[in-house]
Amino acid sequence: MSESTFMGVERDRIDWSPRIDFLKCNDCMDCVEFCPHQVFEVDENAKPKLKVKNPNNCVVFCRACSKTCGPDAITFPDKAETTKMIKAIRKAEKAAEKEVEANE
Amino acid sequence: MSETICVLPCNGLDKCAGDLSRRAALQLTQSEDVELICPVLLNQNKSRYEKALEAGDLTVIDGCNTRCASKLAGDLGLAIKDKVNVSEVAKALDIKLGVEIREDQETQAVVQAVLEKINSSVIDRAESEFVEPESIDYNTFSHGKFIFKVPTANYFFNENDCWVTVSGKLARIGVSDYVQQNLSDILYVDPPEIGDEFEQFDDLGSIESSKAVFEIISPVSGTVVAVNTGLNDAPELVNESPYEKGWLVEVRLSDFEEDQDLLHDCPAYFEFLQRKVAEVDV
Repeated sequence: MSESTFMGVERDRIDWSPRIDFLKCNDCMDCVEFCPHQVFEVDENAKPKLKVKNPNNCVVFCRACSKTCGPDAITFPDKAETTKMIKAIRKAEKAAEKEVEANE
Repeated sequence: MSETICVLPCNGLDKCAGDLSRRAALQLTQSEDVELICPVLLNQNKSRYEKALEAGDLTVIDGCNTRCASKLAGDLGLAIKDKVNVSEVAKALDIKLGVEIREDQETQAVVQAVLEKINSSVIDRAESEFVEPESIDYNTFSHGKFIFKVPTANYFFNENDCWVTVSGKLARIGVSDYVQQNLSDILYVDPPEIGDEFEQFDDLGSIESSKAVFEIISPVSGTVVAVNTGLNDAPELVNESPYEKGWLVEVRLSDFEEDQDLLHDCPAYFEFLQRKVAEVDV
C-alpha cells in the first residue's frame, strides 16, 4: 500500500510505525509474516536481522503486529499524541489555505 | 424497537385520582401509537390484549396508592416498562385532589403533568435503543472483477476502513465492504468487552479470515454497550452484509462532533476508496 496521505496529511509527516526492542526480540519473525504492508525487512546477514524498512507503509493507528509478538518487543508511538498532531497539522493547513485565498 | 405503547390505567370510577388516570389514558389514546387496555376486560380475558402487549411496551397509570392497575399487571405476569402514579404527581405539584370527581384547572394541570411524564420516558427509551434505518442506499464502483459498495449517506469512515453510523447518543461500528472482500471468508470475530471505554483510533477487537487478521480501529470514542452476538454463530454476516447485519459493536458516543474531524462522510470515503483500490492490487 502506498497511500501518501492520511486524512489529508502527508504520510511522512506522521510518525507512526513499530519500534522494536531488540533486548526482547527473539527473531521469530512472526511480525514480518503477519504484516501485509512490507513494513519490515529481514536481512539474514545483519545483526539484528529484523529491520523496520518502510515505516511509512505502516497503516496509521494499526498496532496489529504488536499483538502477534510473543515477547512483546513491539511498541508504537502514543496514539493520543499522534491524533493531536494530525489535527494540528490539518488546522494549520486550513488556516494557511484561507490566508492564500484572502491574499488573492 | 417498539413504537407503540399499551396504557393500563386505574379503572377510575369513584374517586378523583382514579378519574384523572382515566382522563390521562383517554387523552393518550388519541395518538394512534397508543393502545388502551381496560383493566376490567384485561382481568376477565387477558388473551384479548395479547397481541397489543406483544407489540408495545406497557405503561401503567395508578390513581392512588392502592395501585390496583400495577397489582393487576403483576398478578397477570405482565412486564411493566413505565409507571405513573397520579396521586404522587399531584403531590409534587402541591395539589390536593380530595375524593370528589371534579373538572377544573387543578385537575387539568395534573393530567397534563402525567402526560408529560409518560411522553418524556417514551423518548428516553427511544434514545436508549439503536434505531436501525428502514433501508440503506448504496453507491458502487468496480475494479477488475470486484464490485465495492459504499452507503450513500449516514455512515462515517476513518481511513482504516471502519465505519460508524449514529442513532441519538448510540452508534454502531463495523468494517467496510472493502475490508470484507480483502479478507474474504471471515471465520472469527473477537469482540471487545461490554463496558470498555475507548478513544478514537483505539482498537475494538479484531476479525479473522483464513487470509489475515484485521484489527478494528474505532472511528469514534465512547463506551461499548453491546456486541453483535449474531456473529458468534454466523461470522459470515460480515461478508454478506458488512454495513447492516454484519455490524460489530454498539457504543455510547462520548464526543462525536470532535471525532468527526478525522472522519470521511460517504461521498468522501467513496472517493478515498476508489483511489486506494486503484493503487493496490486487491
